[in-house]
Amino acid sequence: MATPMRRTLVALHRATCSSLMNAEASLDLRHPLPLYLPVRTKKRYFIPPAVGMKGMKDANIEERARKAGGAHRQQYFERPINIASTSGVFDPYIPPEGDARLSSLSKEGLKQRAEQIKQSAGSQLAIRKIKEHDPQFSTKSFAEQAQEIFIEAHTALTQFNKEKLHSLLTERCYPEMTRGNRYKTISWRFLESLEPPKVVHARCPDMISKGNLYGQVTVRMHSKQTLAIYDRFGRLMMGSEEQPKDVLEYLVIERHLINPYGRWRLHGKIVPSWAPAKDPIIKTVLIPGPDLKPGEEFEALNHQVPKPEAVQWSK
Amino acid sequence: MATAMTGRGMAFIRSISGELQSRLQVLGAGPLQLSCLHTSTSLESKHWERNNKKMFPPQKPDEPRRPAEVYHSRRQIKYSKDKMWYLAKMIRGMSIDQAIAQLQFNDKKGAKIMKEVLEEAQEMAVKNHNVEYKSNLYVAESNSGKGRYLKRIRYHGRGGFGIMDKVNCHYFVKLVEGPPPKVEERTSFDQAKEYVEYLKSRTIVHSL
Repeated sequence: MATPMRRTLVALHRATCSSLMNAEASLDLRHPLPLYLPVRTKKRYFIPPAVGMKGMKDANIEERARKAGGAHRQQYFERPINIASTSGVFDPYIPPEGDARLSSLSKEGLKQRAEQIKQSAGSQLAIRKIKEHDPQFSTKSFAEQAQEIFIEAHTALTQFNKEKLHSLLTERCYPEMTRGNRYKTISWRFLESLEPPKVVHARCPDMISKGNLYGQVTVRMHSKQTLAIYDRFGRLMMGSEEQPKDVLEYLVIERHLINPYGRWRLHGKIVPSWAPAKDPIIKTVLIPGPDLKPGEEFEALNHQVPKPEAVQWSK
Repeated sequence: MATAMTGRGMAFIRSISGELQSRLQVLGAGPLQLSCLHTSTSLESKHWERNNKKMFPPQKPDEPRRPAEVYHSRRQIKYSKDKMWYLAKMIRGMSIDQAIAQLQFNDKKGAKIMKEVLEEAQEMAVKNHNVEYKSNLYVAESNSGKGRYLKRIRYHGRGGFGIMDKVNCHYFVKLVEGPPPKVEERTSFDQAKEYVEYLKSRTIVHSL
């Protein structure tokens, strides 16, 4: 409302001035009248920076490069990758059921031993191939070496020494071992080995091209260990410090045979289908129930909690 | 908020504040002597979320169980920090279920956003921070802060203008495991009684 009034006032002023001018046009005594009076806008001393900047960002890089004189080369988002480990366990070892519980003198024990000898044909071929590339390889010394690697890897995990972990674990094993552990404290101790470790299986798969050999050896270990996991606030999540547990494990150790600097590193673990269930964690976990329609009620008697299948999987 | 000032005045104030900032940065170079100045905060540092990465050493079995703390925030909410503060003050000290219920039936725009933040924080606590029961949490701290404002021109009469701020705010919440702490209610009668007892307990020291 104010602006129209002001405009009319100025118009009136101009009109009066012009009438006066016409009256005294011959005399040039008074001050020269400005021809244009800016009425509508005043000079903006502050303009917000975002006004009129849309669409400028795309042209920036190229223009700058042209001004500087150098040509702007297209950036390639590619990088060469060295594959130093396989992505899984090829032809995994199937541990016979009741492995640590039957002695070799019983009938079932003899059957198991027979099956083991049958499986070992492929392993003998693989071991021969490994010995071509690594002449110092022998199954007896390798089993102890594997156990040492295992112990070192787990102590590095408790201290979370990244460089050492990368040198002792393959690239496939590292995320599996360390997922979710960044904000947890793990205390693990290896007490003793109940049976000497034994090489049970070996395979030499090749990846992508024919000569690219990797050696995977499975080692069976029976040992006593303690494990206690604490969460971010130092509260015990699983396990206990004092109670030791007997653990039967099948470790897979891998090495890139072609590479002269390759090292034997822990690649994964095989969890058999008959493995006993692990200890539960201390806290209670909510398992979501069935989806109910609006009229239905939850029947606790008929509802069964779904149990996971007993399948062998490699960790 | 539209401030109606002349452009020259704005430039003057801005130059002064720029000089002050540069001087403060020079002064803050000595961290040992001037520990009260914040030397490393910048506009991009998200300090509240970093509290979630703090690790505590393992507790022994005889120590009392340390309650879990979860820090969560949401940045650049299109709402005023002063209006958000009223809601943040309302839910301080409530249990999380009560807080969510109160926000669900509040008519303000910020209440819906705050409810989403609380539910996100509750889920984070159960999934990532080893909280056992999702209802066993209470709101320990809840705050609103100023976000990054956008500036626009608000045209006034007679060619005048004001700088209009498009306000944004941040919302910060800290959930702690456990039942909400009981606040002792002090009535006016209790306060009066305490005052009278204080008056009665006055003595004259160092007298003959």
